[in-house]
Amino acid sequence: MASTVTTGGHAQDNAHKEWGPGKLFLNWCALIVLTFTTFGVSQLPMPVNYHLAAALCISVLKVTLVVLFFMHLWWSDGVNRIVFVTSFLFLGVLMFFVMADVGTRFTLSNSRIPPMPIVDQKVMPSGMPPGMSNVPQGTTAGPGPSSGEAGK
Amino acid sequence: MQSSAAARKMTPEGWLEPPPLPHHYDTAENHQAALRFGMWLFLGTEVLLFAGIFLGYFVFRTYFPEAFEQAGRHLSLFWGTSNTLLLLTSSLTVAMAHYNAEHGKNRNAFWLLLVSILMGAGFLCIKGIEYHDKFVEGALPGRFFSFSEITAPGGPVFYVVYFFSTGLHALHVIVGMSLLTWVAIRCWRKEFSPQYYSPVENAGLYWHLVDLVWIFLYPLLYLV
Repeated sequence: MASTVTTGGHAQDNAHKEWGPGKLFLNWCALIVLTFTTFGVSQLPMPVNYHLAAALCISVLKVTLVVLFFMHLWWSDGVNRIVFVTSFLFLGVLMFFVMADVGTRFTLSNSRIPPMPIVDQKVMPSGMPPGMSNVPQGTTAGPGPSSGEAGK
Repeated sequence: MQSSAAARKMTPEGWLEPPPLPHHYDTAENHQAALRFGMWLFLGTEVLLFAGIFLGYFVFRTYFPEAFEQAGRHLSLFWGTSNTLLLLTSSLTVAMAHYNAEHGKNRNAFWLLLVSILMGAGFLCIKGIEYHDKFVEGALPGRFFSFSEITAPGGPVFYVVYFFSTGLHALHVIVGMSLLTWVAIRCWRKEFSPQYYSPVENAGLYWHLVDLVWIFLYPLLYLV
């Protein structure tokens, strides 16, 4: 028994030979740089959908780095990769079809959101947000941090 | 109890003998591969758990884009960014702890895990400050909402998403800290060696998943 245990340990050492503190530290540096990048990009004057796309791209990049190097999937057995990639694949299926539905439904029916129900004042005497019942649309894009820059 | 270290002897290298191999595994490597695979399966289900919350975020963002923009601007960028840096750094120390445990350097692993746990606690404290600010402002979910600065329809919905996503994440931070505490104690008892380090690795994998969820939550809630 003792000999098999030792053999197993050596095989593991070989499989993990390439990873070490240096690579982990480099990975951390890359993640910090990407964090500041995503922060910087969010301050740029861009339409909100571009912001969303940029933030998601950088997040996917960061997550890939964490999964590959901090979680060792780079050096791991293929079976572990299949599990994780599959779960993200199904996440993508869920997101894609639900968003395809939600994103097209109200545009076609010419009303962006379903009408809000009339709120019974007895049920909710206070605390109703001023915007919930009736607010003119299109009063957004207030003085964000970037509007000044955009004007120049 | 598998971890009853008292029955095991100290090896000349300075760590405890690995616990006896369960009889249905041929080698210790088989055993470790099975433990790792099981953890990855569990993490797959965790991804799908958070998928529901992220889906809610995107659906409600499509319904109430103005409110999500306004409310996002009211979250503290400073605290959000600090928390991101804190979690990323704790992921580094956890990965380092795994490396040290795998090489039998139990004491190094212990200190690295302790630092990680403290960073997790720091994360929760910052989250507490942010929650407190939200409660004071009345920026709360559903019918508790009374925050006058968000005028677009859907403000209460944003705070449902905000509190449930960050709340579920904070719960995971607490569970992760408990797991790290458990393996840190075992590191202190020098239980890990090149032949046996799966608990450190798997607790670390859980912690990295917590980090991973936050990597998505941070830009979606605070930046966009």
